[in-house]
Amino acid sequence: MTLAEYFSFLPYGKYAFYIWFSYLMTFAVITTLFIRTRSIHKNTIKQLRIKYSRS
Amino acid sequence: MWKWIQAFASPKNFYSISAKIIPWLLYPFIIITLVGLYWGLVVAPADYQQGESYRIMYVHVPAAWMSMFVYMVLALSGAIGLIWQIKLANVVAKVSAPIGASFTFLALVTGAVWGKPMWGTWWVWDARLTSELILLFLYLAYMSLNNAFDNPKTAAKASSILAIVGLINLPIIHYSVTWWNTLHQGASISSIEKISQPAIHSDMLLPLVLMGISFKLLYGLLLLMRARDEVLTQEQNSGWVKKIIMEKG
Repeated sequence: MTLAEYFSFLPYGKYAFYIWFSYLMTFAVITTLFIRTRSIHKNTIKQLRIKYSRS
Repeated sequence: MWKWIQAFASPKNFYSISAKIIPWLLYPFIIITLVGLYWGLVVAPADYQQGESYRIMYVHVPAAWMSMFVYMVLALSGAIGLIWQIKLANVVAKVSAPIGASFTFLALVTGAVWGKPMWGTWWVWDARLTSELILLFLYLAYMSLNNAFDNPKTAAKASSILAIVGLINLPIIHYSVTWWNTLHQGASISSIEKISQPAIHSDMLLPLVLMGISFKLLYGLLLLMRARDEVLTQEQNSGWVKKIIMEKG
């Protein structure tokens, strides 16, 4: 059984694996960008707060 | 206009104005993405040649457009920072690099996934694919160079020069399908003649335009969010930054 046949129960038949994998990958990359942006923000605020509380 | 640019380019003004712009990018991004996805995945008909597989286009093409657009913004910002010594321009260039690299990575991966059912292979050393891969390396080189120096001014200067030199790759990517005999298909909607006689039916074209707008809004959103933090870091010795941080609590 090929990869395309294995995922053919999903919408888009024999192309289901390729289509859903592309969209899943896009979702993962965009989510990672947002999570990383959020973590940079939290880290920046934390570092600056530590700096100012020392001075 | 120049006065407005100068006022916006001041880190303090940028920080307060950008906070007001972010919601105006976030909500349209969410709405346009949902409409674009629904239209592209459900409403748009299957292609007569490629069948359902062409639906990968709705993430692949906007990602590829953005990979080049973000690089252009990065290089132009770098040049502005280099010539006019505008701090915010260097900030824009620095925070654009990881976002642009992500779009390029996405364009390459989704392109490979589209290539497998259509060409029978994940990858070929075709002019379009190779020049796009070089773009990813340019982003990575920019980020490495920018982090290699302790002095932010030296880092911005060195990485901006690299970014400007790398601009030569953008026309190569764009015209690669015209200049060389490539496996990658030619441009469908980029030239003036093809706008009047589009190679794609409007039912397929409109969701692509929506997804293109969605990716642009996403870039604007991430750019502002990251630039605000970078401004805080670079201006940490200023009184206004201290006031903002202490007020946050």
